Amino acid sequence: MALVTRRQVAFERLGLAAYLVVFLAPVAWLVSTAYKPARDILSSPPRLWFQPTLDHFVYVLSYMDVGSLLRSSLIISIGSAVLSLLLGVPAGYALARSNWQYAKGVAYFFLLIRMIPAVAALIPFYMLMRDIGLLGSWWAVIIMNTMFNCAFVTWMMYSYFRALPRDLEEAAMTDGCTPVGAFIKVSLPAARSGVIASILFCVMFSWNDFLFASFLTRLDSKPISVAVLTAYGINDVSWGAMGALAHFATIPIVLMALFLNRYFVQGATNGVQ
Amino acid sequence: MAQIVFDKVSKVYDSGHAAVRSLELEIRDGEFLVLVGPSGCGKTTALRMIAGLEDVTEGKLVINGEVANDLSPRDRNIAMVFQSYALYPHLSVRDNIAFGLRVRRVPGEDIAKKVAAVADLLELTEYLDRKPAKLSGGQRQRVAMGRALVRSPNAFLMDEPLSNLDARLRGQMRSEIAKLQRMTAITTVYVTHDQIEAMTMGDRVAVMNQGKIQQLDTPRQLYDKPANLFVASFIGSPPINFLAGEAGALDGLPVVRIGDFTLPLRDRGAALPAGKCIVGIRPEAFQLEADGSAPGTIRAVVDLVEDLGANLLIHMEVPSAELVQPGVVGHDERVDSTKLRLRVTVDGYLKLSRGDTLTLSVNPSAVHIFDPVTGVAL
Repeated sequence: MALVTRRQVAFERLGLAAYLVVFLAPVAWLVSTAYKPARDILSSPPRLWFQPTLDHFVYVLSYMDVGSLLRSSLIISIGSAVLSLLLGVPAGYALARSNWQYAKGVAYFFLLIRMIPAVAALIPFYMLMRDIGLLGSWWAVIIMNTMFNCAFVTWMMYSYFRALPRDLEEAAMTDGCTPVGAFIKVSLPAARSGVIASILFCVMFSWNDFLFASFLTRLDSKPISVAVLTAYGINDVSWGAMGALAHFATIPIVLMALFLNRYFVQGATNGVQ
Repeated sequence: MAQIVFDKVSKVYDSGHAAVRSLELEIRDGEFLVLVGPSGCGKTTALRMIAGLEDVTEGKLVINGEVANDLSPRDRNIAMVFQSYALYPHLSVRDNIAFGLRVRRVPGEDIAKKVAAVADLLELTEYLDRKPAKLSGGQRQRVAMGRALVRSPNAFLMDEPLSNLDARLRGQMRSEIAKLQRMTAITTVYVTHDQIEAMTMGDRVAVMNQGKIQQLDTPRQLYDKPANLFVASFIGSPPINFLAGEAGALDGLPVVRIGDFTLPLRDRGAALPAGKCIVGIRPEAFQLEADGSAPGTIRAVVDLVEDLGANLLIHMEVPSAELVQPGVVGHDERVDSTKLRLRVTVDGYLKLSRGDTLTLSVNPSAVHIFDPVTGVAL
C-alpha cells in the first residue's frame, strides 16, 4: 500500500471542510438568526457582524409555554420509543432465531413498512383515531410513531441478534437459564448497543416528527416541532422567534446524540459488542 | 458424577439429514471419553444431544439411569465448553464464571469462594475484572473452562475447545484439561477432529464416521488394532499406507503378496481367508535394510523428502506394487488428485535424495489386513 502523502491529507481536509460548510451553513444561519436584531435578519448580503440580542428568546418565552411544548415532545418521543422497543426487540429476536425459511423475508417486510409514505398512512389513521376518541391526545401520535418506529426497531434488532452467536444462549441454557431467561440475561444485554441505538433512532424520529403531530395533536398536546411553525404569522414570518424556538427543539436531541454518539455509530454500522 | 448411555439414538434434522444413526454408546462414570471423526460425522450432534441442545429423534438417551430425552438443558446439570467459548461479552470474567451459580441461586458468599478457587486453579485471578474482549485466546479458553468447573456439574461436555488456539498453546491446554479431568474425576465427553487430542487425552476414544461409531477403544488399541479401513486411515499421523494385496500361504505359513513382494505374517494366529485384500502399513513400521535382495522386503524409489527434524518423512514410488486409497476418509476430506506414494518415516539424520532406491522391511506384527469390500480388519 502506498503511503498517504502530505498533499493527499491536505486535499482530504479541504474536502471535508467544504463538506462541513455545506451542511453547517443552514445551522449557522438558524443559530445566528435567533440572536440578530430583527432589522438585520433579512439584510442582504447577510451581516456577519451584529449586536447580539436575546429579544427573540424573551418574546418566545413570554408568549409561548415552551415548557409544555417540550414536555409534549418528550412524552411523545419517550412513549413511542418505549412502545416500539417493547414490541420490536422481542419481534426482532424471534425472527433472528426462527428456523422458518421466510423469517428473513418477514424482517425485510418490516423494513418496508418504514418506507411507506407517511402521508398515505396518515388519513386512515386520522379517521381511526377520531372514531376511537384518541384524536388530539398524545396517544394518537405515540401510536402512529410506534407503527413506523417499531418496524424499524424490529428490523434493526433482527440484524443485531442475527450477528449474536446462538452459542451464547445455549451456554446460558446449559448454565441453568430458561430460553426466556437466556434472552433476558444474555442476549439482550449482549446486544445492548443495538438497543441503545434503537432508542436513539426512535426518540429522534419522534422528536423531529412534524407531520403526524401537526394533524393528530391539539393545542395543549402539541410538541415543539409543530410549535416552530407558529412563528409563521399571517402577515409576516418571525424568523427570529423561529430561530429561538429552533434552539429549544434542537438542543435536547443534539445533547443526546453527543452523549450516546458511539452507540449511534455502532447501530448504524451494526457492530456487536 | 454421571453415566451417560446412548441407546440406539438417532438424530434426523428437518432437512432429512441423518446426523447420528442408531448410536449405541456407554460413557462410564468418571471417564474421559473422546468423540473423534471428520467434520460432519455426527460427533458434535451427539454431544449437543447430551447437553439437551438437540432433540433426540429416536432411541433413548439415559443420564444416571434416567431417560433424559425430554429434559431441558437446565435440568441436566451438565456444563459445556463451546468451540467459540461463548463467553458472555457484557460480563466480566468474574461474572462469567459466577453466572451459572447466580442463575441457580447459590448464596453470594459461596459464589465468591468458588469463583476465587476456580480462578486460582486456572490462574485467572488477575483478570477477574476484565471483559472477555480484553483477554487473549488462551485466557478466554480458561474462562470457558472455569465457567464449567465452578458448577461441579454431573458431566463436562467439550466441543473442540482447543481448535481456536495456536499450536503451542493447544499442546499446553491439552495436558491441562486432561489433568483437570483426572483431578475432578467428572465424566467428560470431548469432541475433536484432531486425532492427536483424541490419542493423548481420552481414556477411551470413539471414532465416528457418517453418524456411526466405527470403533470404541483405548487410544493404543485404536492405533495397534484398527477395526476397519476408516479407523486405520483416520488414526495415525502421517497417515497409514494402503496397498493392494493378496493373502495366501507359502510353505504352510500365512503371507501377503503385494505386487512382486511377499511379506510373511508369522505372528498371525488366525488364518487369513485367501484372496484379494488391502494391506495397511504405518509409515513408522518400515525399517531400512542394507541387503537389497533379502526376502520379505520392498524396494522403493525416493520421490520427495520432508525433513521433520527428528524424522524424515519420505514419499516413495513403489514400481511393482499398487497403492490404493480406499474411499473411506470423511467425504469432504478426500483428496483424489494427489498421486499416491508410499509414506515412510526414517531417522532424521539419514542422507537421502530424490531417485535413491531403498530396501524396506516391515515388522509383520505391524501389518494390518482389511477386507477390500467391507473394509473390516481381517
